[in-house]
Amino acid sequence: MFEFDYTFHWVTVWNVFPEMLSAAVVTLEVAVTSMFFGLIIAVFLSLGKDSKNELLSTPSVVWIELARNTPALFQIYMMYFGLGAFGIHLSPYVAVLAALTFNNAGYLAETLRGGFASIPNTQMSASRSLGMSKLQTYWYIILPQVLRKVYHPMTNQMIWAILMTSLGTLVGMLELTGKTDQLQSLSFRTFEFYLVTAIMYFVIAKTVLLGSKLLAYKIFRGDAQ
Amino acid sequence: MKLIKKLTVIAASVLAIGATSASADKLDKIISKGKIKCGVVLDFPPMGYRDAKNQPAGFDVEYCKDLSKALGVKLELKSMSFAQRIPALNAGKVDVVIGSTSDTLERAKSAGFTMPYFVFKLQAMVKKDSGIKTFEDLKGKKVTAALSTTPETEFLKNQKANGWNASDYFSSKKESDTHLALLQGKADALITTDTTIVELLKLPKYKDYEAGPFVPGFQDFVSIIVKRTEYGMINYMNLFIHQQVRSGRYKELNKMFYGNSPVRKLTIDGIYY
Repeated sequence: MFEFDYTFHWVTVWNVFPEMLSAAVVTLEVAVTSMFFGLIIAVFLSLGKDSKNELLSTPSVVWIELARNTPALFQIYMMYFGLGAFGIHLSPYVAVLAALTFNNAGYLAETLRGGFASIPNTQMSASRSLGMSKLQTYWYIILPQVLRKVYHPMTNQMIWAILMTSLGTLVGMLELTGKTDQLQSLSFRTFEFYLVTAIMYFVIAKTVLLGSKLLAYKIFRGDAQ
Repeated sequence: MKLIKKLTVIAASVLAIGATSASADKLDKIISKGKIKCGVVLDFPPMGYRDAKNQPAGFDVEYCKDLSKALGVKLELKSMSFAQRIPALNAGKVDVVIGSTSDTLERAKSAGFTMPYFVFKLQAMVKKDSGIKTFEDLKGKKVTAALSTTPETEFLKNQKANGWNASDYFSSKKESDTHLALLQGKADALITTDTTIVELLKLPKYKDYEAGPFVPGFQDFVSIIVKRTEYGMINYMNLFIHQQVRSGRYKELNKMFYGNSPVRKLTIDGIYY
């Protein structure tokens, strides 16, 4: 039976809204930073995985396999308590940042690899035969095509990174979800707090999506939808 | 036509009776259904935990059993986290929560609190050689408590009042995570209830640890909670708590879970409740 009778006390939420906003900034900060470092590492991982040298390819394969096939929640826990067991103490913030970077790098590496693999080798020979250097070929022929292929999956990963930060609560990090948890326990106004938080996540994700679409329009001159 | 009229009257009265019984309060509903759904928190020994056979056990679990017996209904225990207590009540997943809920005035705007059924003191747990003897010694030390709990709130209040560095404190998601953080040396001290510390210190892995200073000037009275609007339930629960003490059951359970430590007074001097 439907047993929901609840009077919303919105004023409780507005009183602490600034605190929630600054927690949302932490969320965005962790997501953006982990994407930035994740992307840099992903370039090396994708090159490493395709390398014929096993010393380079094995660590890359292990990283990518672990990052993609274990839960992000588990990865965060391992960074915090797992390393803690060996006396390496990361703060909740650094542990979450490290875990999300680990996760993002794994996914982005595969995205990049897929992008490069989709460009036929024949393009290289074709442009070389026209007298372009190897570097020129990469810069003018290959990269623009790869960018088109990987841009939208990368946007997806960005959104996913924002939502994954909420797992930081697991190790006591006070990002948006953790802060909300703390605030609602003081007043027990559960539904107000979680509703506002859900809307905030939605707005953040939508804004990022919109921004990336505008950016895509600009760099691809409108031909990448 | 007469017959139709009669039938209409009968139908209307049946509906009216139905409508009256639909507005029956929670207490009526529990009695007529013959079952009470009781929420307990099972990571907070000895108030709630799982025993060696993975069965729910503890002071709160015993209170749920006593309550269902008093009501003459079957008991359905629902295990939950501290954070789930209020949503579970509001969504009707449980009828009552016996889960060591601290009775703040702010929370009482959202949930219906009974009179206190237990009282804790908040205390630090530290390593024996840490040199932390008084509450002031915690200044500049790494301190942790479980996120969204009264130990956390009260410690933060003191930290702020004393002007200590806020970054020396960190939250842990669960009570058990605070224990792990202390063992791993992430924290120099954890803040929790005195009763929890007594339980932890019984375990061999805490042989190098001891009960530290108390959080000053605070007694953590905890209540049973129901929906704020369920006065019938609140009245019943108040009498239940009273009877538990009068009948000696409270003392008996205190002995069962806290050994020889003195039975806690549920009142403070000078005022009822």
